[in-house]
Amino acid sequence: MVLFTDVQHAMVTEKALKSAGYLVRLVAPPPELRKGCDLAVEINLVEKPGIERLLNDRGLAYIGIDPIKIATAPLLSVVKVTDFGDWIMVKAGNMKITCEKASGVIVNVSGGGCPDIPYLHAELIDRRISEVPRPKDIGFTLCALNLDRAFDECLTLRLGEDEA
Amino acid sequence: MMLIAGTVPIKGMPLAVGRVVREGEALAIDSQRIPCTQGTGAMISAALATTAYLGLEAPRAVIVGDVGEGRGSRELYRYLVDNVAGLSPQVLALHYWLPDMSQTRQLCEAVEGCKERPVIIADAASMYSAKAAGVAEGFDIFTPDATEIAFLADPNATHPAYIARHLFESDVDRVPELARAACENHGAAKLLLVKGAVDYVIKDGDVLATVAEPSMPALEAIGGTGDTVTGLVAALTYAELEPQEAAIIAARANRMAGKYAQATPATKVKDIIAQFPSVFKDYLCQWSNVCYIGGDGKDGRS
Repeated sequence: MVLFTDVQHAMVTEKALKSAGYLVRLVAPPPELRKGCDLAVEINLVEKPGIERLLNDRGLAYIGIDPIKIATAPLLSVVKVTDFGDWIMVKAGNMKITCEKASGVIVNVSGGGCPDIPYLHAELIDRRISEVPRPKDIGFTLCALNLDRAFDECLTLRLGEDEA
Repeated sequence: MMLIAGTVPIKGMPLAVGRVVREGEALAIDSQRIPCTQGTGAMISAALATTAYLGLEAPRAVIVGDVGEGRGSRELYRYLVDNVAGLSPQVLALHYWLPDMSQTRQLCEAVEGCKERPVIIADAASMYSAKAAGVAEGFDIFTPDATEIAFLADPNATHPAYIARHLFESDVDRVPELARAACENHGAAKLLLVKGAVDYVIKDGDVLATVAEPSMPALEAIGGTGDTVTGLVAALTYAELEPQEAAIIAARANRMAGKYAQATPATKVKDIIAQFPSVFKDYLCQWSNVCYIGGDGKDGRS
């Protein structure tokens, strides 16, 4: 498991490792290592040398790579979709994103409690979902990661493509 | 004094402490202006609308800029730990910040130094960190939504991103069961106001009341409508209503404000907040016996 000081470094590293072809997943670190908003990347330990080299070559910050196998927890991956007629709301964990079907414009973001959520709310609202940065690319926390899962589901619904 | 603490989404904004003043569509605290949008701004706006209507002292707020990196949150924790005993608020309402279990425990210890123990209310990540730190039972009111009650019920989760799948997939009918589990697992405050299609007011695992009317499904989609409920609860508690009474009225007022605003999923929370004075004028006396006398800006209880 690759451990980090903050969630954003874990998200960036997961993206880099997946791009490089590694099979990795985001998980919670063991309870004794948690501060409150934590994320780690689970790797195949036999790939540690290559992964370590990639992280160092790219200057990706991490605390360490430790052979921890127990007491981790997977991220919740369930999404729910609610149809409001002209709008559609997608919920992932504690985060919800609502878009106008015809235009693909994000009309609301709700839920969550970490400090980047009001920031993401301001960045995303009243803009087309196809034209805004992804929450996981500009957010920092687990709430942002949940919002990104809802965002990702919205993208698969191809909202607003008729109008675009 | 009612003290509201939380982060605001303005990068680099320094910590500001002061009485809240409404300036057009924004809020002013010390020399800082913040928008009445989702998050701490919406919560403060709802509390201010309530105290203004009742002629009570406006909330005092401590806010700091943080867009998620955590620097502002750490400043906020430090300020509260160092100053809460000296301020000794009657109501302490905690809101958005980067959850930190260690700092939350320190804050709970610092609160013990207050002249009189404040009513402590937590929503958003301050609720997450209280539960994760194992100090939830030291809080008076939590205002979770249906997902967050599943988080409070899950003894192993330190953030809603990690709640067990079977708990997340539960429907609204299971809220009482999850609330009981949260209480048994020491993950709940003394009183829970669970926001959802039906709002539940729960104490020690027992359902005291439910609020389902007016039915406003669109409110779930509107960012900040949970924050406004928490702001209403805080201000009504500050007005010396019993916590459960404050919770019931807050749930009713929020729904009614949504109805007055003719809310759709695209409505913005500032349009909901704008309706609170009309809702109070029409219903607060009937719901609570807190009746505005008029003229001198004072409130009175009939």
